[in-house]
Amino acid sequence: MASPIRILTAVPICDGHDSAINTINLEFIRHGIEVIYLGYHRSVGDIVRAAIQEDVRAIGISSYNGGHIEFFAEVVGLLRKRGANDIKVFGGGGGTITHEDAAAMKRKGVDNIFFAGTSLTEMIDYVRQHYGRPRGKRLGAKSPDQELAHKLTDIEDAYAARRKLPTRNAKSKIRNPQPAIRNTNVIGFTGPGGAGKTTLIDELVLRFLNRNPKGRIAILSHDPSVIGEGALLGDRATMINSQNDRVFMRSMATRGQAGGLSPATQDSLALLARSGFDYVIIETVGTGQEAMPFQKNGTVNQTVLVMNPDYGSRLQLQKIVMLDLADVVVVNKSDLQRARTAHTEIEQRLEQNRRNQRLIDTVAKRHRDPGVDELFGLISRSES
Amino acid sequence: MSKLGQVVESIEKYNKFVLGQVKRARTDEKFGRELLGRWNDTKAKIPVSRTPTGLPLPRLALPEIDEPGEIARYLFAEGLPGEFPFLNGAYREMYLEPIREVESFEKNGEGPQRPARPPLPQAEEPTRLFSGLMLAEDTNERFHYLTQHQRTHRLSTAFDGPTLYGIDSDADGVFGKIGEGGVAIDTVEDMVRLYDGFDLGSPNFSASMTISGPAPIIMAMYIAAAKRRFGPKVVSKLRGTIQADIFKEVQAQNETIFPIEASLRFLTDMVEFTTREMPRWYPISISGYHIGEAGSTPVQQAAYTLSNGFAYAEMFAARGIPVDQFGPRLSFFLDCGLDVEYIALARVSRRIWAIGMRDVFGAGPRAQLCKLHTQTSGRSLIAAEFKNNLTRTAAELMLAYMNATNSCHSNSADEPFTTPSEEWIRLAAHGQAILLEESGIFKHTMNMLSGSPGMKAVERSVETAILDEFREIERLGGVLAAVEDRYQRSQIQNAAHRYEQQIYDGVRPIIGLNRYRNGADDIPEVKLARTPRKKQQLQVDRLAKFKKKNAEKANRALDKLADVVERGENCFPMLLEAAEVCSLGQITGRLQEVVGRFRPMV
Repeated sequence: MASPIRILTAVPICDGHDSAINTINLEFIRHGIEVIYLGYHRSVGDIVRAAIQEDVRAIGISSYNGGHIEFFAEVVGLLRKRGANDIKVFGGGGGTITHEDAAAMKRKGVDNIFFAGTSLTEMIDYVRQHYGRPRGKRLGAKSPDQELAHKLTDIEDAYAARRKLPTRNAKSKIRNPQPAIRNTNVIGFTGPGGAGKTTLIDELVLRFLNRNPKGRIAILSHDPSVIGEGALLGDRATMINSQNDRVFMRSMATRGQAGGLSPATQDSLALLARSGFDYVIIETVGTGQEAMPFQKNGTVNQTVLVMNPDYGSRLQLQKIVMLDLADVVVVNKSDLQRARTAHTEIEQRLEQNRRNQRLIDTVAKRHRDPGVDELFGLISRSES
Repeated sequence: MSKLGQVVESIEKYNKFVLGQVKRARTDEKFGRELLGRWNDTKAKIPVSRTPTGLPLPRLALPEIDEPGEIARYLFAEGLPGEFPFLNGAYREMYLEPIREVESFEKNGEGPQRPARPPLPQAEEPTRLFSGLMLAEDTNERFHYLTQHQRTHRLSTAFDGPTLYGIDSDADGVFGKIGEGGVAIDTVEDMVRLYDGFDLGSPNFSASMTISGPAPIIMAMYIAAAKRRFGPKVVSKLRGTIQADIFKEVQAQNETIFPIEASLRFLTDMVEFTTREMPRWYPISISGYHIGEAGSTPVQQAAYTLSNGFAYAEMFAARGIPVDQFGPRLSFFLDCGLDVEYIALARVSRRIWAIGMRDVFGAGPRAQLCKLHTQTSGRSLIAAEFKNNLTRTAAELMLAYMNATNSCHSNSADEPFTTPSEEWIRLAAHGQAILLEESGIFKHTMNMLSGSPGMKAVERSVETAILDEFREIERLGGVLAAVEDRYQRSQIQNAAHRYEQQIYDGVRPIIGLNRYRNGADDIPEVKLARTPRKKQQLQVDRLAKFKKKNAEKANRALDKLADVVERGENCFPMLLEAAEVCSLGQITGRLQEVVGRFRPMV
């Protein structure tokens, strides 16, 4: 089976009209397409960077605030400059883009513009027809990030086809990551959905970027595939600090695998771990109690469990196996009323383990939260 | 319990009070007689209008009741126009034609809430036409064109994308957006150019600015520009409105630039300043329009708008601003579509607002008024057989006037596919004049169409549904908690999805689209006005010059501003200083360093 089509969707900078794109995203994923949604008010640089890192087949831009001729042209231009001509651009803007505009945009390299009244079915057919065929052979990558992105695609495609990796050297290297990851701190984040993992990671990224003016960080983020269908990979839309040239982010759909990770995760993570980043962060899908996505002594060398204070009764804690395994447990949203009780109960639960696990309270949504500072200090101390 | 919970209780309590009064009027003879006397008195004093055919009509229509219980129900549950709880109107005479020989009773509102009709118009109504295009000098020229024959100058300003997001015209990747869909404002110098030639301190001038995310910064620039031209004394004379509605941005329109709490704090800083120093300014326009346009149901629109309003009132009161000082400076902005709820949506909203403000916030009469601007629904207009949009807008206008809106904007029929052209703008504006001036529906008699059994049924049903929404928001911990929980946002998106699905399934008939479609495409070829590149470059160059000239001063001002923000003091006075020497983007950027950026909700 071939990999699902991966596309990136976004709304241009200074434009908050996300109603159309929200509807289109949902329709795309219902029809088996994986959509990396970048959100609204996004710059050309952010869009092109994300498209290259995610190695999507095409970018869909929904523009309602004018300036589309320039904006689309800049996206196409920057893609070319970065050697990503294989990533196509399409879009729409209801009545704001005239036929004349669309003609001008096509001349500048845009594949297609959908006008008001186009049915969702037409759009899906178009995407399938134009971006669903197997990729042709690609020329060498123009940047290390692009090369990395291509390799990650190879890994995902290989798993989708249920076959061994095509390249000769891939298997041995990926299965034996130890020598290369010595300088890379690989941190795994897991926890129930809605606990605030994405926000927390984004805040840690901000601190990392401020602290290490030259350092680079990679994020491997996971979202669930709709059963038998596509996936909405939306973490980037809320990760405002992670849209940065020093952050390499890749969003993966679970593609039918339980436990919060994708079949291709292990190999992808190993590849990232030996690609020269200071940190590699892996975020699982919001997981259930019995999930244990990271193995002891695996590629991940620190694990963080992010909890929501509203986990229910105290007995629930006994069932959460990640509490035994995590190096750090974070109670996020500690401004909620229940947070104190949660802290006490989790503390007692951790004491049973006698493993010197750390427990930290954070309010990730708060700017410059001291709890997040503490967590960052803890993670970066164990770097050496 | 948050104030919203108390509002729910206050409405329930008030409704019980009304029932109590009805019962009392029927059992307590003295009270009954008193009411009857008052009723007869009121009726006797109603002046008589004469229609053009000579037919006499009362200027105020009242139900034909003479039983004390029913009189009590009418007076307490609805109130006469201009009387608590203001169901029938915020003012006594609203759109009535002035009586020529008798002195007019018309009360004078201010700003956008002034009843729409001046006596005997010589020229066309001074309408507030929303405009903004290209650079400040281009919009200025347009403003002068629009107001050339008008005694009062009421300007309504639309800003371009970069300005709405608080960034400068030289920011990465925004070049093509400069001056698109609104005017580009980067500095106080642009603001001076924008309103050049208008007397900002005059009682006949008012400026409305449709901007929310960076509203306090833009407000500071406006004040700074006014001071440059007219000296410091002009500040207390400034009239106008700035939208500044953060909640609806987060719920529906996505133009938020700081985290919610920081945005609310900057807003409160501004409101504290304007209520004290600029008593004629409306520092916030609590807007349901964008919630409605984003796809909410009418009930959601009213419920979220009112609850947002109460949340603002709670915040301003907590800051120590007296309710009778800020209350009269709040105004509302609602959408009016074709759904039947709109027969009474604004009426019910006015009543809920009045009771809540009086009984929960202790507001006096002027602070109880829900002063309302209505715009017909843009979402209800479609491109297919677009001339039908004239009928849609006319029906919506009719509904808006039946709700006694204080002012109104009617959309142009060509809006679904282009920036409105002059021909269709004119037709839209004339729709208002035809209803109010040409037709006799609204000019002879107040309450002409109020109080039908159907309208009453809608009122009851809508009020119950709004209170249910309030209860749900209260259960989630109040407005702010619900917003952070994405509650309103998800509800609106759901409703929008359902609406589209209903159109698709044909459950919601749209004439010319899913019913009686003729298939012909009658959309005229349109040429959109675009900002020339040369102008965009000029804006970037001017900004560079401004930044270079003020570089040193700007840094000092920004440092001081950051300090004040860190200390948690009211930062508006410092914003005023910064606005003199810093660009919009510089101020936004510095503030974001201190308080963070808004994290979008998806």
